[in-house]
Amino acid sequence: MGQYYLVYLELRNGAIAKSSIDVWNRFQELAACIDDRMYGFAAGPAAEGAFDVLQGNGTIYHAAGSRSGSASDVAVCAMLEELACRHGVTGIALASTAMGRRLAPLLSGRLRAALLSGCREFGGPDEACSRFIHSGSVIASYMPASAITVFLQGRELVSPDFCAAERPQIEVFDAAPYLDAGIDVLFRPVMHSSQGRDIAEASVIVAGGRGMGSPEAFGLLEELAALFGGSVGASRSAVDEGWRPHGEQIGQTGKRVAPDLYIACGISGALQHLAGIAAARIVVAVNSDPDAPIFGAADYGIVGDVRIVLPELIAAVRDLLTKK
Amino acid sequence: MRIVVCICQVPDIASVVTVVDGRIDLSRLSWVMNPYDEYAVEEAVRLKELLPGSEVTVMTATEESGRDLLRKALAMGADRAFELLSSSLEDSFQIASVLSGAIRERYADALPDLVLCGRESFDHQNAAVPAMLAGMLGIAFTGPVTAISASGEIVEFERETESGIECLQAAYPLVVSAEKGLNIPRKTGIRQVMEARKKPIETISVSQPPASLLRLQGVVPVSAEKNCRFAINARELAGLLLRDGCIPKGEE
Ligand SMILES: Cc1cc2nc3c(=O)[nH]c(=O)nc-3n(C[C@H](O)[C@H](O)[C@H](O)COP(=O)(O)OP(=O)(O)OC[C@H]3O[C@@H](n4cnc5c(N)ncnc54)[C@H](O)[C@@H]3O)c2cc1C
Repeated sequence: MGQYYLVYLELRNGAIAKSSIDVWNRFQELAACIDDRMYGFAAGPAAEGAFDVLQGNGTIYHAAGSRSGSASDVAVCAMLEELACRHGVTGIALASTAMGRRLAPLLSGRLRAALLSGCREFGGPDEACSRFIHSGSVIASYMPASAITVFLQGRELVSPDFCAAERPQIEVFDAAPYLDAGIDVLFRPVMHSSQGRDIAEASVIVAGGRGMGSPEAFGLLEELAALFGGSVGASRSAVDEGWRPHGEQIGQTGKRVAPDLYIACGISGALQHLAGIAAARIVVAVNSDPDAPIFGAADYGIVGDVRIVLPELIAAVRDLLTKK
Repeated sequence: MRIVVCICQVPDIASVVTVVDGRIDLSRLSWVMNPYDEYAVEEAVRLKELLPGSEVTVMTATEESGRDLLRKALAMGADRAFELLSSSLEDSFQIASVLSGAIRERYADALPDLVLCGRESFDHQNAAVPAMLAGMLGIAFTGPVTAISASGEIVEFERETESGIECLQAAYPLVVSAEKGLNIPRKTGIRQVMEARKKPIETISVSQPPASLLRLQGVVPVSAEKNCRFAINARELAGLLLRDGCIPKGEE
């Protein structure tokens, strides 16, 4: 029998999140056998043509009626459960977003489905998944032992280039029976303050530590990050100093990130910090202390004062960008 | 308010985890309370101080003795503790099952108002137990929160999303997990440690937890150590990044 996959497609401001499209593409690639089937599910209002970004065949259920933003986790979970049962789904996949990280274990517990998250290699829901544990010092591989697998995909996996001529079919899903049954309909949004892009999804991160010396100096990092189309991150010391919000903290008590390029500026490279960047591809360190441990975890380094090196690096990158 | 805090212990990050004969060698590690769980215990104790008549119960699901861990939580101000000794705890599913079983049993009439957990454990970093537990108890889960303000009837909390901070209101019962930034856990002194000795710790043996959903196949140690190439100046570094394809392509 083939594999039946169900992908949760997160809608943000009416558009499908980039990380959800990556998951859809990965499972389209996996579902290459003739017997395999693809399903998608999205809840909340979608802009005109929002689903046009999805390629490949399959059916996407859209529960437009559910109030997104406050679309309760429990209701979404119940609708996914219903679709999983209706179609005999063998694998449910979600992107590792704030919501995905809440939904995946919820589904796993309710469906008694093995939860695979943080996988660095992934061959399908019935194959072993290897991931970092113990702060990135060990890689463990796990084999799911359940009929259904829940898969939470983060940036540890390189997103696939998937291309197909077919387009999935969109079907309306009636959310009404699930909405008032939800036990957390009482979740009422009180306010929402927005900050920049989320670092967990960034492909380039320029991060600063205590060595930046002041909150103002992070302006240099913002400038450099902007050249790469990236985001700014911070060490815990920089966050605890009040220079940056906690949402930008990288490390064991912050976010684990997996950018293609990570530039650490004035960061010493404590184990708790390195735990957050184990999955980063190229690591660059700028530090005035040649013995700083961060150099041991870096591919490239410059020994020097950030206040001197960073303006030079900004100029050099800008030169290369305009020369091309 | 009746509060349950679920906690665990993890290897101290300063002690290096080694792999011996294809298995993680836990014998030479020193253990501490999972730092996220410290935030959870602290928040529970603060809520108790704020809302008179509240009671804080801590629980740990463990294969070996969890008494030292529980004593630390009692010293921080929890009132009583349960050590849930289980024959097997191989994945988050087993841990959540043992915890939900114990909570259901202890709170047969009405579930506790709040179940607090840490965001994730430092060792396995799955961040799965809190949501699984909520699903098993049939109550809502807030996700990791950075601020809580609670009254007897309603709780307001803040959580991080991709686009910023979200502030929400919810009714009890609720599972909440503690994110860094929620509070700064208190230090405990001799007096608190002595007082904690008088508080009850009850052991419950769970002989048959449900089977795990994940089978560990193997572990390999990894070294974060890279061979750093030092650039003499920013221009050389930019050149290296260009060579590696890190500099975005221009318009042409
Ligand atoms: C339980 C626990 C959890 C933790 N979790 C995290 C976490 O999630 N994330 C995290 O980052 N940390 C975490 N830490 C803290 C961690 O141990 C370190 O204290 C922290 O990472 C250090 O931050 P830093 O590198 O910015 O500062 P420092 O260690 O103070 O390093 C500053 C660096 O800047 C360099 N420097 C100074 N001036 C300049 C200059 N002008 N130009 C260039 N370089 C300069 C210095 O040489 C030094 O290397 C945790 C700690 C504990 C105990």
